[in-house]
Amino acid sequence: MKKRLCQLQPLTVPCKLEFLDALAVFVQQASKEADLDYRTSYRLRLAVDEIATNIILHGLSDSLQPSTLTVYAELDDQYLTIHLEDTGSGYNPAEAIPPDKIRGPEQGQKVGGWGIYLAMWGVDEFEYVRMHARNLSKFRVRRPSCGEHRESDS
Amino acid sequence: MQIRVEVFGDVTAVSLAGEVNSRTAGRVEEALLPLVTGGCKLLLDMCEVSYMSSAGLRMLLLLHREVENKAGQVVLVGLQEMIRDTMAITGFLDFFRDCKTVEEGLELLKAYEAH
Repeated sequence: MKKRLCQLQPLTVPCKLEFLDALAVFVQQASKEADLDYRTSYRLRLAVDEIATNIILHGLSDSLQPSTLTVYAELDDQYLTIHLEDTGSGYNPAEAIPPDKIRGPEQGQKVGGWGIYLAMWGVDEFEYVRMHARNLSKFRVRRPSCGEHRESDS
Repeated sequence: MQIRVEVFGDVTAVSLAGEVNSRTAGRVEEALLPLVTGGCKLLLDMCEVSYMSSAGLRMLLLLHREVENKAGQVVLVGLQEMIRDTMAITGFLDFFRDCKTVEEGLELLKAYEAH
């Protein structure tokens, strides 16, 4: 499978909430380049937003070194893959919570926990590795042109 | 995020416009929760909300609890398709009444009074 980087230049931003809009714009532009439909694009943006928010709110290291988030995109014939790298402490979102225990706003249920669930729901494949003191999260969605479209365009 | 509050008789209607995310959900929460009083009727117009992350779900959870605790009513109006999907997959949709238009929402709140 021939891979190529998206035309978009990789983006590095400080690990702060106010830079999440820039990440969203990046993901939306990559989605456009990959010809994703609205639903797939929305879910992918949601997935990246949720994981990045989690990194910013909970994953920062104690190091004095300022943490950063870097995002870049990779395209092949079948998939768009968004790579999100951060310099925070190690944390695998895929192991964070069992999604089947999350059901609605019942009284007494703890507030929160849906972000990672939505992130997993939003993509076809999610992969996490810890390498060289960095967290690498990969979000992969199938492109519509491959014939096995996950949902019809709306 | 734009937040507008209007009063229709005994119904308080709050219109949101923009994205409800980790940067804006706190402001929405601060605007909404003080409006929840004993037996209140709240209409939350989300026709112009284009995106909602889990921070929005958290805000809705807090709103739901507050409304329940105060024996009030809340109706969500005009949820866009993907926001509705997000609420359905997390089970939130089962806990809220929603409809397409403000008029329908006002009718729903009025109908509750008749019961």
